[in-house]
Amino acid sequence: MTHRTTHKPQLSFLGMLRRSLIHRRARSFSALVALTVSAAVVTALLTLYADLNAKLHKEFRNFGANVVVTVPTSETGASLPPGTLAAVQKAAGPDALVAPFAYAVATTDRGTSVVVAGTDFAAVRHLDSWWQLPQWPTTPNAALLGERAANFVADEHAVELTYAGKAVTLAGAGKLKTGGDEDSRIYIPMVAFTQWTGISPTVIEVQIPGGAAAVEAALTRLRSQFPTLQIQPVRQLVEGESRIVDRTHSLMYGAVLLIALTVAVSVLATLSASVLERRRDFALMKALGGSQTQLMAMFLLEALAIALAGVVLGYIVGSAAALAISQVNFHTATLPRLSVLPLVLLLNVAIAALAALFPVRVLRGLQPAALLKGE
Amino acid sequence: MFFRLLLESFRRQRRRKALAGLAILLGTTAVTAMLALATTVGDRIHKELAVYGANIVITPKADLLDVKIGGVDIKPSTGGAYLKASDLPKLKSIFWANNITGVSPELPISLNLASGQQIPATGLWFHHKLANGDSSITTGAPIMHPWWKLTGAWPAAPGEVVAGAATGMHIGDNLQTGDTTLKITGLVSTGDAMDKRVLLPLETAQRLANLPDAVSRVDVSARTKPEDAFARKDPDTLSPQQHEIWYCRPYANSIAYQIREAIPGAQADQVRRVEQNEGNVLERISGLMWLISAAALLAAGFAVSAAMATAILERQREIGLMRSLGASKGAIAFLFYAETGLLAIFAGAVGYLLGSGLAAWLGASIFAGDGAASVGPVLIPVLLPVVVALALAVAIAGSTPSIRTALEMDPSTILRADA
Repeated sequence: MTHRTTHKPQLSFLGMLRRSLIHRRARSFSALVALTVSAAVVTALLTLYADLNAKLHKEFRNFGANVVVTVPTSETGASLPPGTLAAVQKAAGPDALVAPFAYAVATTDRGTSVVVAGTDFAAVRHLDSWWQLPQWPTTPNAALLGERAANFVADEHAVELTYAGKAVTLAGAGKLKTGGDEDSRIYIPMVAFTQWTGISPTVIEVQIPGGAAAVEAALTRLRSQFPTLQIQPVRQLVEGESRIVDRTHSLMYGAVLLIALTVAVSVLATLSASVLERRRDFALMKALGGSQTQLMAMFLLEALAIALAGVVLGYIVGSAAALAISQVNFHTATLPRLSVLPLVLLLNVAIAALAALFPVRVLRGLQPAALLKGE
Repeated sequence: MFFRLLLESFRRQRRRKALAGLAILLGTTAVTAMLALATTVGDRIHKELAVYGANIVITPKADLLDVKIGGVDIKPSTGGAYLKASDLPKLKSIFWANNITGVSPELPISLNLASGQQIPATGLWFHHKLANGDSSITTGAPIMHPWWKLTGAWPAAPGEVVAGAATGMHIGDNLQTGDTTLKITGLVSTGDAMDKRVLLPLETAQRLANLPDAVSRVDVSARTKPEDAFARKDPDTLSPQQHEIWYCRPYANSIAYQIREAIPGAQADQVRRVEQNEGNVLERISGLMWLISAAALLAAGFAVSAAMATAILERQREIGLMRSLGASKGAIAFLFYAETGLLAIFAGAVGYLLGSGLAAWLGASIFAGDGAASVGPVLIPVLLPVVVALALAVAIAGSTPSIRTALEMDPSTILRADA
């Protein structure tokens, strides 16, 4: 008799928890998988969602200039005051792309009138990335011939142009194709242009990143700084960008909610089924004198422990998935965001807690004796 | 006997069936909604991208060089070549005719007012029905330029015009040119050089300029496939088979090629600023939706197979009992698969309906204000077999390991076990 009392195992609360998790390994594992999947999906979607605006606005930068600064048309012959380019760049922000343009109507060696534009090729290369040309010219006297304009030039390698009686010979640097007005023009470096024609830049094209609000703010800054200049947004670009970004954003938001909800409810259903299945454990513990609160705490702690492990694993898997998705789709990485972790944790803990507590209502009504007898 | 077992199983174990069914239902709802959104997002975003204007422009081949700076013609070409307006319905007869969503011809002219003033004007279609056989679209400049802001009304009769916001004219003014009186019905703000012009119906412009049937440029908006390396190939250097493939893909280049074939004397080119970037944006957004759909599929698959595994695991005793009563492994497996299959088909079909409704509602509320054209069909029939087959595959795959484990266990062990 005394033997039995001395050898009675001391089963602490934590010991029970540990044994329950380890002993029913298969069950714990399937719960862990379910909670890991839910945490991973939510992490991946939230990470992508948080990064979506920046990614989309980056795509829209390729559409080129969304603000155009010009000399008012009433003052013919006037050009932008020197230093305007640097001042515009400063007012528009360091991320903005700016490119100066100057135009003159010259005559080709065939006697056709053609628009010749002076510009900074290094800047245009970034601003107008859709220009199709064999290679960007680098020499100071290069002439980039628009595809249509090239038809009106006799010698495409030594391009001879005349403006106001002054002739100049430039090295042809290939044909430019855009499908727009550029096709009918000849582009040459600004320095060579100003030396030849005496005309300084009259137009500055500006690309301001970040959608309608950013463009509006930059416009206000530019207009107050240059009250004499005409500063116009390219309306279709500004409006289009905001609409599309907003709509994609809402679409993604709907998708995130939908998927998170599905995963949450499915995981909830699976977990609560596996808790319900443990009616007999519940009945046995109750018969051995466990109180309702103790038992609930037991189930709850078990679920929370699995949920926490699920969050850790799921955050890693989900961040990796987000990284892969944005690498595949946007060709740039989306780095893991710690800021999504609280929400993921909250959601997973809520699912686990609900899954543990939901069956308790059902279990409470059961009679331990009846259950243990197998009725 | 088999059907009675099947029926009883559904009748008696309602809770278990409800849980597994719920998992399948939610999974298929989410997957259907995501797939439906992903398949339609391309069209929806394309409509939004129409804001950027035409992606293909048609000009007469023998045109003179434009001398244009900032949209203003410095030396208006005189006696240039023109396209024929009567050729335009041919656009709706090319291979990719259905991908052409907008056509806007224009004819710039100069109005000689009775006051001696000369003002620039452009002849345009406003709401023109372009039809060829069965396919027809109502198109014109206002639809192709959604950023134009109009006060008043677009011209509805030959003698009506709208004036650009920077012309200083007013609604209700009359313009006298020759023996024609033009009534201004609206003011339009375009944000570009168009603001200084008078916009009038194309036919009126042709009559005033004495250029019957002439247009000088046509803007075309077409739904295209983003350009890849194959699209950039010169079709005339390809082998006949390759040429066929190139021709039958909706690249901007192939559509432009078909337009050149259809309209004699026309030069059609893609507008690279619009086309190159639109394709990218479209690809990114629909790519994102497809990848998210894949994530939804994966998550739903996990959830459903986990639910199925649990549902079978719970019924080990049942399996043990059936085995001990002499049922063969095959018969039991068949019964369980039949149950799973029925559940998957039923819940999958309901999930398909719910998901389609959800996608339609989400799409309509996100892309609200795009007009009736954006309301596509709510049900996408092709998704039904796809979604049900997926539900079936996932449910069966999810229950297989549990069924196998249960069948491999000794029936007496299962029955004696206190689980």
